[in-house]
Amino acid sequence: MDPARIDRDYPQGTNFQLLVAQQQLARMGVVDDAQGTQATAYRTLLSSELKFRAADLVRRDPSVIGQTVEITAPMSDDADLYYKGEITRDEDAALRRVSDRQMEWLDDLKRDGSVTSGFNTLLFTQGDSTEPELAGVLGAVVGSALMLLVTALIAIPLGVGAAVYLEEFARKGRITDLIEVNINNLAAVPSIVYGLLGLALFINFAHLPRSSPLVGGLVLALMALPTIIIATRSSLKAVPPSIREAALAMGASRTQTVFHHVLPLAMPGVMTGTIISMAHALGETAPLLLIGMVSFVPGIPGAITEPAGALPSLVYIWENASELAFHERTAAAILVLLVFMIVMNAAAILLRRRFERRW
Amino acid sequence: MKLPFFRSPDGREGGTPADPTEAPRMGGQVLPGADAPLDRRDETVLPTEPAVSDAQGEVPPTVTAPAVPVGPTKIAARDISVFYGDKQALYDVSLDIPDKTVTSFIGPSGCGKSTFLRCMNRMNDTIQGARVTGQILMDGDDINARSVDPVLLRAQVGMVFQKPNPFPKTIYENVAYGPRIHGLTSSKSEMDGIVEVSLKRAGLWDEVADRLHSAGTGLSGGQQQRLVIARAIAVNPEVILMDEPCSALDPIATAKIEELIDELREQYCIVIVTHSMAQAARVSQRTAFFHLGRLVEHGDTEEIFTNPRERRTLDYITGRFG
Amino acid sequence: MIWFLIPVVAVLAVVAYAAGLALAKRRAAGHPQAHSRPQQHGYYALIWVAAPALAVIILAGIFSGPIAQNLISAGLPDVVQDMEPFRRDAFLNDARLLGEGQRPFQTWTGPLAEALESEAARSAGIQRTLMWGGIAGAALAALLGGLLAFAQIGPTLRARNRVEGWIGGLLFACSVVAILTTVGIVFSLVFDAVRFFDRVSITEFLFGTQWSPQIAIRADQVGSTGAFGAVPLFAGTFLIMLIAMAVAAPVGLFSAIYLSEYAGPITRGVVKPMLEILAGVPTVVYGFFAALTVGPAFREFFNGIGALLVGGPLDGLGQYLMLVQNQMALVAGTVMGIMLIPFVSSLSDDIINAVPQSLRDGSYAMGATKSETVSRVLLPAALPGIAGAMLLAVSRAIGETMIVTMAAGLAANLTLNPLDTVTTVTVQIVTLLTGDQEFDSAKTLAAFGLGLTLFIVTLLLNIVAQRIVQTYREQYD
Repeated sequence: MDPARIDRDYPQGTNFQLLVAQQQLARMGVVDDAQGTQATAYRTLLSSELKFRAADLVRRDPSVIGQTVEITAPMSDDADLYYKGEITRDEDAALRRVSDRQMEWLDDLKRDGSVTSGFNTLLFTQGDSTEPELAGVLGAVVGSALMLLVTALIAIPLGVGAAVYLEEFARKGRITDLIEVNINNLAAVPSIVYGLLGLALFINFAHLPRSSPLVGGLVLALMALPTIIIATRSSLKAVPPSIREAALAMGASRTQTVFHHVLPLAMPGVMTGTIISMAHALGETAPLLLIGMVSFVPGIPGAITEPAGALPSLVYIWENASELAFHERTAAAILVLLVFMIVMNAAAILLRRRFERRW
Repeated sequence: MKLPFFRSPDGREGGTPADPTEAPRMGGQVLPGADAPLDRRDETVLPTEPAVSDAQGEVPPTVTAPAVPVGPTKIAARDISVFYGDKQALYDVSLDIPDKTVTSFIGPSGCGKSTFLRCMNRMNDTIQGARVTGQILMDGDDINARSVDPVLLRAQVGMVFQKPNPFPKTIYENVAYGPRIHGLTSSKSEMDGIVEVSLKRAGLWDEVADRLHSAGTGLSGGQQQRLVIARAIAVNPEVILMDEPCSALDPIATAKIEELIDELREQYCIVIVTHSMAQAARVSQRTAFFHLGRLVEHGDTEEIFTNPRERRTLDYITGRFG
Repeated sequence: MIWFLIPVVAVLAVVAYAAGLALAKRRAAGHPQAHSRPQQHGYYALIWVAAPALAVIILAGIFSGPIAQNLISAGLPDVVQDMEPFRRDAFLNDARLLGEGQRPFQTWTGPLAEALESEAARSAGIQRTLMWGGIAGAALAALLGGLLAFAQIGPTLRARNRVEGWIGGLLFACSVVAILTTVGIVFSLVFDAVRFFDRVSITEFLFGTQWSPQIAIRADQVGSTGAFGAVPLFAGTFLIMLIAMAVAAPVGLFSAIYLSEYAGPITRGVVKPMLEILAGVPTVVYGFFAALTVGPAFREFFNGIGALLVGGPLDGLGQYLMLVQNQMALVAGTVMGIMLIPFVSSLSDDIINAVPQSLRDGSYAMGATKSETVSRVLLPAALPGIAGAMLLAVSRAIGETMIVTMAAGLAANLTLNPLDTVTTVTVQIVTLLTGDQEFDSAKTLAAFGLGLTLFIVTLLLNIVAQRIVQTYREQYD
């Protein structure tokens, strides 16, 4: 920590990567040229997380200035790929992203034990970033959670309400037939069409904020609605009519019959259907592409009207990214997504097994 | 049915296969043959029916029935017709049902007796496409009048169904549900009291007193049916309608229910639909015979069973059809 | 914003409930035969206080913005009236900010500075009036509703029936949302599609064989008119769908037959939930799998065969295979087929289970073996239902987006060669609508034309398929 180069009040102004690079080069006895090309080349092997961590350290404890401290930070994606053997010396030197000289440095670092490999927890604590080694899924997870919250708050009451009306209250006739055919077809409409609906209706017509979990949640809610209605109706159908007759004959009104007896008995089935449709909504990507949820959103969203990413669209963005290291991140993001999906689906299956009732 | 010697074992219409879920009932056994004398027919059933047989003498059909109805007219039906969509199920039925009496409706399947029963608490309103014409007066008031809320009517007219249908809740909750939705109690202890009295009156208290908070669906069939009766009693009805309450029960459970019906007669107007002529004879004082949607004959049970006026009634009770 | 009133209304509603409850108890005191219970009267009062107030608030929330705008622009001084529309909007926005006590974005000079002051005051005044108007309206509505309800409360009021009427209405409104969604879809697609067909004739769109919307961006470019013949897209969609069905139909159907006819209960108990979980895997994951695993593997495979053939009698074919790319139709089609397997399997399973056991028993009683029963009795009986299930799968394949977006290409080739790069309707919709866009160009509107086509085709497929499956079910019910 060179006191001459660190401003006590504004530590993040210091280029710590360069500082470290110069120190390392000095230790190896390499004399840099006037433009500092060597140090710049060395610097690119270190991630900017190093800078944040060093600045943070100084801010918390200004007395470290002037001392030598050890800071652990991730290497850059290129260094990482080299260590993993994804970039080799066999490739054309002009095309590959790591020069021979940098490779030597990296080999040196490895030899003297300055480099250890470990799990990069930034994956879980950071939002998206343009630098693969710093990019994390937290922003997308929060975005997905906010979106799912909107979806659940809209789709579940609406879906259950509609199903209860159609199954328990509506007089069977033309209108209910029409609604029924309509719902069956809505369930099979391609998801991208819902994206077009969201774009035209919510963004261009109602001027809701683009890329926001609010719009995403609304679109997914409309998508999830038919599934929830169909699942709820079939579990309401499974409640035997004798229960309804018993309650009605006791002098319960139809509303009391439904809300005191039928709906509670149908609840396990309703919940199973709901969880499955929520899991489906969580993994849905195509409509999100059209309402702008594939834009680069570095932060972590704090409200449903702020721009946000979502887990599946993050997978899509990272898969499309040019840096090779993003492909590994994509796999990691998919694992996160799949964990959520499997937990939700397994919960639904368990719920069904546990509460399945034969009349 | 046109085949005089063919009967299905459960006393139903000849062509209808017996419902395999139903336990064998006495109805079939009391009808050994078309030409058997009336008084001898029921002797064949006596061994399977100790509760009734022990106390009774020579003429079982009239054993529990006093000679005349004991109450004034509770329900008066005038020209009741029921349509399900385009199909007419009941044709111009007029019938007086006395209070504090058990009235039984007999007749072959599909004869309209259950349909008529369901008119009396307006349960037909819950079936889409059902239409009822005519008048039913309960204590002089038309129950189909616009000013009558069917929901409140059903609190006054309890109903017990063919298959025991307790709510999938605890025994306590089953009985407490009616008083709760009708606001009959204002405290927990009052509710406890209603539950206890109702269960006692239904003859179930001794069997379930120690497990009031276990599931009502865990009881045996006969117990479930008595639970359902307790549930109906709990809201203080004036009339109790029973739609073949014993058809899903074994003989012993049936005997218990019949005993219970006889006890309840003292306080309620009871109407029971049954396939079993022996049951009608045992529990009811008045009998109405339905056929093809029409009321063929009605009168004192003894009268109907010993000296029917109509040929069809005689044919039915002697087992020539049905 | 007027929305802050909603919690106030909630509190009022609770108060109304308590008051209604107490009032009903008092008025019913002398009457043993009160129709409804006091709580139901409470809910009745609650609804009549909350519903009118909420209606006023929602209306005010939606319409106060436009009304304020109209009022403000109606009385603008000439200095402002003469500004360009763009600058005027910025000016008015700043006036509004100033009126709300915030700092304006820009500095306005000269007469505009004075105008800004006065306009700010006027805008704030209008906003205040509207706000107080809304509050007064909501309060009045709640008051009138409450008076109405409280006047009615009494032993003869059928409060329960009234409250249940409201609940029924609410539930009906829920199911109307389903209809509104369809209306919304049709409306938003047709509206923009019509604007598209104003620029590109419908026959050119449906029968043209040139698709190159991307060059329509800049006016000075060659071919700036763009070409919107969608036949190559339809062909690409069809090709990928065919490949997907070639994978999914046999595998899905046979796995269903195995599960329902051959597998024991344990196998069934394990495989069925696995298939369900597989069905829950997001399509973007399949897309990743297609783009980064299957694509390169297929390319290497074909390149390897090509290398073997080059120089031999099939030199031309070898040369061609050497040049095969990652983004061939075969890759997207195969992976889409894998995605559809659980879908086809579970649909076919339902269909096969609907075949009555008596048919199987009859066949076994004749001495037929299991496979004879399956192939001679079961499959012919289930065939119509299975055909319906396959149509549903086709509809899914046509509408699937992520796999093709990630693994198929963008080049609109009119070909049926599975090793070629093709593009699909859904890929083009995504490409046309992602990234920067001006909303009125034929390019973005074309996406809605494609969306409408896609919607109509999948809708027809679904209706036909559901009709078939339903008729099939009724046959065995």
